[in-house]
Amino acid sequence: MQKFFFNKKLVVTLIGLIVAFLLVAFSINVRNNRSMPPVIQQIGNEASGLVNAIVSYPATGIAKAGSAVGDLLNTYQENQKLKKQVDSLAAQKVENQTLRQENKQLKQQVKLNKSLTDYDKISAYVLSRTPSAWQNQVIISKGRTAGVVKNAAVMSKEGLVGRVVEVNQTNSKVELVTTKNDSANRFSVQLINTKNEIVNGLITGYNTEKNQLIMGQVTSKVKIKKGTKVITSGMGGNTPKGLFVGTVVRVADDDYGLPSKIYIKPAADMTNLNVVTVAKRTD
Amino acid sequence: MAESRMKFVFPIGLLLAFVLDGVCSKIFAGYFFTSSIAVESRLLLLWFVLAIFLTDDTIEHIYIWAFCAGIFYDMYYTSFLGLMALLLPFLVYLNRAVFPFFKSSFIVVLLIYLIDVTLLTTLNYWAMTLIGQAGVSLASYVTQVLWPTLIYNLALLVVLFVPLRRIFVE
Repeated sequence: MQKFFFNKKLVVTLIGLIVAFLLVAFSINVRNNRSMPPVIQQIGNEASGLVNAIVSYPATGIAKAGSAVGDLLNTYQENQKLKKQVDSLAAQKVENQTLRQENKQLKQQVKLNKSLTDYDKISAYVLSRTPSAWQNQVIISKGRTAGVVKNAAVMSKEGLVGRVVEVNQTNSKVELVTTKNDSANRFSVQLINTKNEIVNGLITGYNTEKNQLIMGQVTSKVKIKKGTKVITSGMGGNTPKGLFVGTVVRVADDDYGLPSKIYIKPAADMTNLNVVTVAKRTD
Repeated sequence: MAESRMKFVFPIGLLLAFVLDGVCSKIFAGYFFTSSIAVESRLLLLWFVLAIFLTDDTIEHIYIWAFCAGIFYDMYYTSFLGLMALLLPFLVYLNRAVFPFFKSSFIVVLLIYLIDVTLLTTLNYWAMTLIGQAGVSLASYVTQVLWPTLIYNLALLVVLFVPLRRIFVE
């Protein structure tokens, strides 16, 4: 009996287990704390981030060279398609410019300096991705020194990709919208149908098999067409208004005839991220 | 001579394996994380297993290395401290425990690595389920995560075994 209690291996195993459980519990508890992570963890993350950057840039370069060959083969067909789009784009761009200017002037007249649609853009490289099936996270190359804040929305050039969950000095972690877990905060989104009626809701889930975001908490009875564009609504205080999320593919009614779930095809490709933009609200 | 060389080679390889896990996951994200499968890269584990079996278990302070690699992995990738920091030394312990009973031939290392990856991935899945991060059933875990992960990591071992043996043995 005496020997059993002083068995060195047993003691080490037990202490290891207890410490590990305590650490996990600690990490879960402080996760949503704004001042987290603690300094020691930040220093560790800086060091890892530095090495990661050194390896990541050349590796990404090689990968790009590989995909460039594939791109070249598709160039002709793509060119045909794009030519058609370019003409309409030019007209739209001019219109946008005029509207933006008018908007600015009107805002000045009513002395509305900052509204929900204003945000600062911080561009960052994607250094790495968490090698885990359970956490869809990427690590980006900008942190607190560049002005990144926790809970800021993150965009690719196509649309919304996720939210900043951890900020270090020179790198941060971004949780992608495709993450499926209990603790993930969801985005507040809205869509406007052809009759200019607004439907508000939340992104409440993600369907991995079909790659569709699920918009829930919808209380409106308004008819929604397939292909309607969904944007962030700016409610909740963290994301600016007007970031493109995706397009509606399916509306599922519940038993009472209310559209309870709206399925959205995300605009951004979460598996091909190289450069992202952090959208930090200015108001 | 070989041992003193290992003092530098082992940590450098460890660092590379640690970083390449994430970089590979990022570059091949389109193949790793699709609608039907998810692959977890386990280069870090591969480095430890080969270090034990190919250097005849002569790496100094291997538990400290395993713990440090684990805690950095937790900090940098998952932000759940204590998970890999416990699992990696545990797997190193298991590998060292079975090491005297086997010859370090290619097939033996392959089979042991297969068991290692299964253990690590499953324990990780179990822990992630406990803390509410993983929400899939055991059946879909096996078909969507475990199988692809095993296939990818075994393929990596087959490709890297000979080059890494040259690094460790010579």
